[in-house]
Amino acid sequence: MRSCLKWDGKMRIINLAIANIKTGKSAVFSLFVLIFIAALLLNIGTTVMSKMSTFYEDKVEELHDAHVSIVMKSANYKQPYGDFLKSYSGVKETETEQMILLPTATIRFDKSDFSIRTALLNADAERTVAPLKLIEESASDKGEGIYIPYGLKVRNGYQLGDNFTLTYQNKKYSYRVTGFFESTLMGTSKLAMLKFYLPDAAYRQLSEELGPAADGTLISAIFTDSEQSGALLSDYNNQFPQSNEAVDPSFWGADMQTAESSSALIVNIVAMILVAFAAMIVLMSLTVIKFRISYSIDDGMVNIGVLKAVGYTSLQIHTSIVLQFMLIAVAASVTGAAVSYAVMPAFGGVISSLAGLLWTGDAHMGTDLASVLIVTLLVLVVALLSSMRIHKLSPVAALRGGIMTHNFRRNLLPLDKAKGGLQFVLACKTMLANSRQNLMIGSIIVAITFASVFSVVLYYNIAEDKTAFFQMLGAETPNVGIQVEPGKDSEQLLMQIQQMTGVEKANILDYITTTIDGQLVNTDFSDDYGKLENKSVYEGRYPQYDNEIVVTGGLARLLGKNIGDTIKVGVGGASHPFLITGLNQSFNAGRNGASLTMAGVHHLIPDHKGMSINVYLEGVNKSDFIRDVEAEYGSMIQTITDVDESLESGTRVYISAVFAVMVVILAITVLVVVLILYLVIKMTILKRKRELGILKATGYTTFQLMTQIALSFVPIVIAGVIVGGVLGSLYTNSVLELLLSDAGISNVQFIIHVPLIVTLCIAIVVLVYLVSMLVSRRIKRITAYGLITE
Amino acid sequence: MQDTILRTEKLCKTFSTGGIQQHVLKNLDISLMEGDFTIIMGSSGSGKSTLLYALSGMDKPSLGEIHFEGENISKLNNDQLAIFRRNNCGFVFQQIHLLDNMSVLDNALASGLLVSKNKQAVAAKAKQLLAQVGLNETLWGKFPSQLSGGEAQRAGIVRALINSPKMVFADEPTGALNSASSDSVLDVMTEVNRNGQSIVTVTHDITTALRGNRILYLRDGIICGDLDLGAFHADHNLARHEKLNAFLSEMGW
Repeated sequence: MRSCLKWDGKMRIINLAIANIKTGKSAVFSLFVLIFIAALLLNIGTTVMSKMSTFYEDKVEELHDAHVSIVMKSANYKQPYGDFLKSYSGVKETETEQMILLPTATIRFDKSDFSIRTALLNADAERTVAPLKLIEESASDKGEGIYIPYGLKVRNGYQLGDNFTLTYQNKKYSYRVTGFFESTLMGTSKLAMLKFYLPDAAYRQLSEELGPAADGTLISAIFTDSEQSGALLSDYNNQFPQSNEAVDPSFWGADMQTAESSSALIVNIVAMILVAFAAMIVLMSLTVIKFRISYSIDDGMVNIGVLKAVGYTSLQIHTSIVLQFMLIAVAASVTGAAVSYAVMPAFGGVISSLAGLLWTGDAHMGTDLASVLIVTLLVLVVALLSSMRIHKLSPVAALRGGIMTHNFRRNLLPLDKAKGGLQFVLACKTMLANSRQNLMIGSIIVAITFASVFSVVLYYNIAEDKTAFFQMLGAETPNVGIQVEPGKDSEQLLMQIQQMTGVEKANILDYITTTIDGQLVNTDFSDDYGKLENKSVYEGRYPQYDNEIVVTGGLARLLGKNIGDTIKVGVGGASHPFLITGLNQSFNAGRNGASLTMAGVHHLIPDHKGMSINVYLEGVNKSDFIRDVEAEYGSMIQTITDVDESLESGTRVYISAVFAVMVVILAITVLVVVLILYLVIKMTILKRKRELGILKATGYTTFQLMTQIALSFVPIVIAGVIVGGVLGSLYTNSVLELLLSDAGISNVQFIIHVPLIVTLCIAIVVLVYLVSMLVSRRIKRITAYGLITE
Repeated sequence: MQDTILRTEKLCKTFSTGGIQQHVLKNLDISLMEGDFTIIMGSSGSGKSTLLYALSGMDKPSLGEIHFEGENISKLNNDQLAIFRRNNCGFVFQQIHLLDNMSVLDNALASGLLVSKNKQAVAAKAKQLLAQVGLNETLWGKFPSQLSGGEAQRAGIVRALINSPKMVFADEPTGALNSASSDSVLDVMTEVNRNGQSIVTVTHDITTALRGNRILYLRDGIICGDLDLGAFHADHNLARHEKLNAFLSEMGW
């Protein structure tokens, strides 16, 4: 009997909650959409972040790929190299394989040619490490043609059956694409090496044609624990000073952590932005819920009084209100988590194009559950706290309409004294009378303006004016890059190029791998840093003398050094002390980067010459220039690259990722503005129904009242937009620095394009005004006559 | 000879609830004269308030025409009616309906400034009217919740008069007030009528009805009685009272 009564009580509470939901369907729908978006973004963000943390490791395991790979000409390979890897602590499996190594082959990337170190492997050879596993294969050309990395499909658009041409030493080798495979280390151009597989016959034919000079050796190592792989290359370098890139240009080495940091970064940034934005929307939803609960208590005060009078306990009424929002939160967050499965493939596509690896949309129950729990728990807490005052209300007080919610001690903006038109002053009075509600709207506008400014600044600097983007990456932007043929005199070629018509300036900018305090450091060097377009040194200055060095901020922090300190730099067996004269940043070098003068490099590798020449043109057609250089100095040149085109195609993947983020943020901004205004204005109109009826009776037109309501939001929205816009302008770079700090980026100076931001801010204000006008059209339904009849 | 200020031709109002049609006003032909204090009486549900709000442009008739100073207002849309009301009508409601979030003075100005942009002139007029209805300066800055019922209704009358309307429409103006407050409100209304203000009032209350000079009696949506009571004089009220009682008896009150 007792349990029957309890069950009856519970049913009554559920019925009350459902009745409340039914009476405010449109408001419930808006809240549902807000919570749904929050849960959706939160789930996508956390799923991507949690999957990315193990993505490379899982991929290496799935593909049985190497944690570390080393490639060199077979002529330079010695047995101890392989033995070193075999006996290295933590290595559980190694393999040495013969291959064709092309130090620089040119392949077509989008619309431009791209020169890159290339490894061609025999598809039919037996191997245990990274066995060929095709994720897509042509049914008709099986066993023929060439197998290319999946990255070339997702990043560069290659399809099965396409013609694929490798240009090596001015000779073209064409194949038909018959399959795609994944490779964590040699699948994208990021680590300066691409791997391809040829069927046995084609492999042998090419190998014979190229001769022993193209014979290469690939050494691979798999670790028990991938964490241990990070130090192998540095230790290898110390152990074998003669086997590194500076001494042997055919040498190449990479490990999983480098691959991960180069690709995972942008994915993590995108995911973090989504999570941050989701958090913002959750906060907005919670604020709206709090506002809505307060409103529904005020509005339903008499009903609460009646329920209390007929015997409902405060707890029952309280529970019914909380339950109402919990039902919405659970339904919306579960739907959000479910829909994230439909949206994830789109994000998976972006991740695949960034990493060059297939992103599988597996079930992610853990994060689903966490997203739903986080959202519903937060809603529960806010709903509980916001409706707590029901306990304090006596039935009589509730029946009398409760405590007055407004305090009219001061008549703000008296109409006889206030300046401005009647509509404006009345709008301001409304605004002041609803200060808490306006504070909520203001805070929301600040947050979404900040997010919008952030995304627009990001997009402008990556897609429109890339100067600051390249500066941030530490990437130099010449018009043409010339790779000098090994053995030729690069300095002589530089001098001759400088004399050519249309050459504004030219310099040597090349790099070697050095070791500093046991760290492998990507060290660039130049004959003249003054000629660089993008000065990546953000503190101090570039090295000018042979004993000076610039290091990345990240490396300086790691070493505990600063400008003025001396560090010892080594290459192979040689080492030399250098004075730190500045701090810079380099996206490509990551945390471990440095810059030396040409003379400084000679302390480590006497007579070493930089083989990369950067050419900056002015007033000359680039194609004509390239043609002239090839005609005149072709014998001295290995490759000529149209850098503008390469950078354009290289940044395309970032542009599309950032564009996607910008579109998502702006679309959600619009949606959130619409939803929140809809909720707030709808509640305002309901709350002010009587007042609006009186005003209509006294002669105010619907349009005047709509304008009044829309205008009442304008001051707070303008204030919010200004605050959000200013904060966005001032702190976007700081937020980016924070997001990119793991990638060794310490200084971001993205251009804050003021006209664009002002336009965005104006657009938000106009949007708010128009949406307010549109939503407040429901005033039309309020009639002066209704004042008497209702 | 008085001019007709408001005239209806075959005025009908029908409400539809759940598919059932209810004819509240039936083919009414009424003429209201300028300067009159017209009282509309009738039993509950007779259509008094419906008639009042149809006459004032607060609601649209289902059929028929309403001519206000020769202008057919029954064809106006909602916004045109709003402009018509602000320029020609003043309203006094039973529930008073002052704006809660505005002071007494601002309640009057919110209507006054709709018609005139001259803040100083409107404020001066509002203050003069407030003083005239017996609301002293200490009350002007107060909010409706801080006033007594009588004070609030007098503030409502000031709001109704602020734009010098051609007609004041009052719906049970003393319905929510006690006897003393009622008298003060009725005195104000009588006074403004004496100054030439046309008033139409719906009431159940004999005391209120006695203030009018013309009584229209409505039954089932039809005017079934029209009494000329003559102007109100406190001294000759007994005779008027008897005349009204006789009329109401005849009407079946």
